[in-house]
Amino acid sequence: MKSVQEIFQKVFLLDILQGLLVTLKHYFSRKVTVQYPEEVKEPTARFRGLLRLYRDGKGEPLCIACKACQRICPTNCFDIEGARPEGSKILRPTRYDWKLDRCSFCGLCVEVCPTDAIRFSREFRMSLVAKEHLLFHLPDMYVEGEDLQEFICGGCRP
Amino acid sequence: MTALTLLFDVLIPVLKIAAVILYPMVMVIVMIWMERRVVAFIQGRLGPNRVGFQGILQPIADATKLFFKEDIIPRQADKFLFNLSPVLVMASSLLAFSFIPLGQPFEIKGYTIELWIAQSPVGLLLVLGLSSIGVFGIIFGGWASNSKYPLMGALRSVVQILSYEIPLGMTALTVVFFSRSMDLVAIVNHQKDARVWFGFLLPVSFLVFWISGIAETNRAPFDLPEAESELVAGYHTEYSGMKFAFFYIAEYAHMVLVSSLVVILFFGGWLPPFPNSRALAFLSVVPGFVWYLIKIMFFLYLYIWIRGTLPRYRFDALIKLVWKWLVPLALLNFVIVALAWYLL
Repeated sequence: MKSVQEIFQKVFLLDILQGLLVTLKHYFSRKVTVQYPEEVKEPTARFRGLLRLYRDGKGEPLCIACKACQRICPTNCFDIEGARPEGSKILRPTRYDWKLDRCSFCGLCVEVCPTDAIRFSREFRMSLVAKEHLLFHLPDMYVEGEDLQEFICGGCRP
Repeated sequence: MTALTLLFDVLIPVLKIAAVILYPMVMVIVMIWMERRVVAFIQGRLGPNRVGFQGILQPIADATKLFFKEDIIPRQADKFLFNLSPVLVMASSLLAFSFIPLGQPFEIKGYTIELWIAQSPVGLLLVLGLSSIGVFGIIFGGWASNSKYPLMGALRSVVQILSYEIPLGMTALTVVFFSRSMDLVAIVNHQKDARVWFGFLLPVSFLVFWISGIAETNRAPFDLPEAESELVAGYHTEYSGMKFAFFYIAEYAHMVLVSSLVVILFFGGWLPPFPNSRALAFLSVVPGFVWYLIKIMFFLYLYIWIRGTLPRYRFDALIKLVWKWLVPLALLNFVIVALAWYLL
């Protein structure tokens, strides 16, 4: 009985027709392509994008220039100098250089930071036109979100 | 009056020749675009959709790129044959189009305009013969490249095309049995008189013809000559620029040609479905060329659909398929059709 079915399948090319139906179904399926410049896929929550310095709720910088990140960094990405502003008890960075070209996105600086000042942003569009642009200075380290993208793009940086 | 005669005797043939060169080219452009889009859709992608509306101008952009590419001739190559083979491949597949009837002849001011360049009592043989000349182009190209992969690809291609030509011709003969003519126009007209397309009378012939047709054009699942995982790109590995484009265009033109043949032999050419039936007479309102185009597009789509579905054959399986299955099947089919013709 089985052989009859097999012969039937072979004579009428049923397997091939079945295969054609499968591909036809896929033809009308939803496409998974993301049309990149127009549509941008949101990275996942723990995505390791550009490193950014963050501020607290009141707009005060969180960084206390303790240089823990500089010490732990395996590739020496950071150059940090701190100073105490007048009348303040807390140290603030006067210089915070981060070299994107050296960074391996290992995340040790994020882990070691006592005040959670340095964190990964979710910005992944890092194409730049000049090597100097790979060096991030202090005020720019606070830029994030859409502003950051505009800041990075097309060599618009000074 | 003389101006009118001049128009119909000189200008119309010239226009027809231009149209017959342009028509396969346009079909090739549509086909390249359609292939990339349809295969992408089957694979859940979008395919090229940037150049022009939905990427329709993509093949033109590709061709423009190929125009400006450096034309490389390998130092060890046989220059004459190397240059000759793309011309042979291209010319043979374009020439065959002059025998393909595209639609019903119509009359303007007493002049009948036929939608084909040449009508020959052995049109079918000529078309098959011309498409076989392309084999010379392939073997010359593979040999003249003086490189191992093109040679292997060319050998595979020739073995495949020569083997599959036997069931192809044999099944085409069954149609000739019914129409009593090798004239492609007469074959279509006979399907009109017979009230039914030959494809419904001869389903086995159609199937064998179609499978052999896919193998003839070196398309998936019979694309062994171009198996890029084994042979880089087959017989046109060493070609670049416009010469490569010639091979590429010729391959697609050949697909259009085989689809046209299938439509003419088995699906009534420019005829609407069930010609002569009263109930479906309103279908004749649509011009014949449109019917022809719809049918041909279906078969071109089927080419791509099959390519997106089936994996490539092994070479021994490919040869086994033709010699152990298709040739005996075509012979048996031939004998049965011949018997049926004489008994009925």
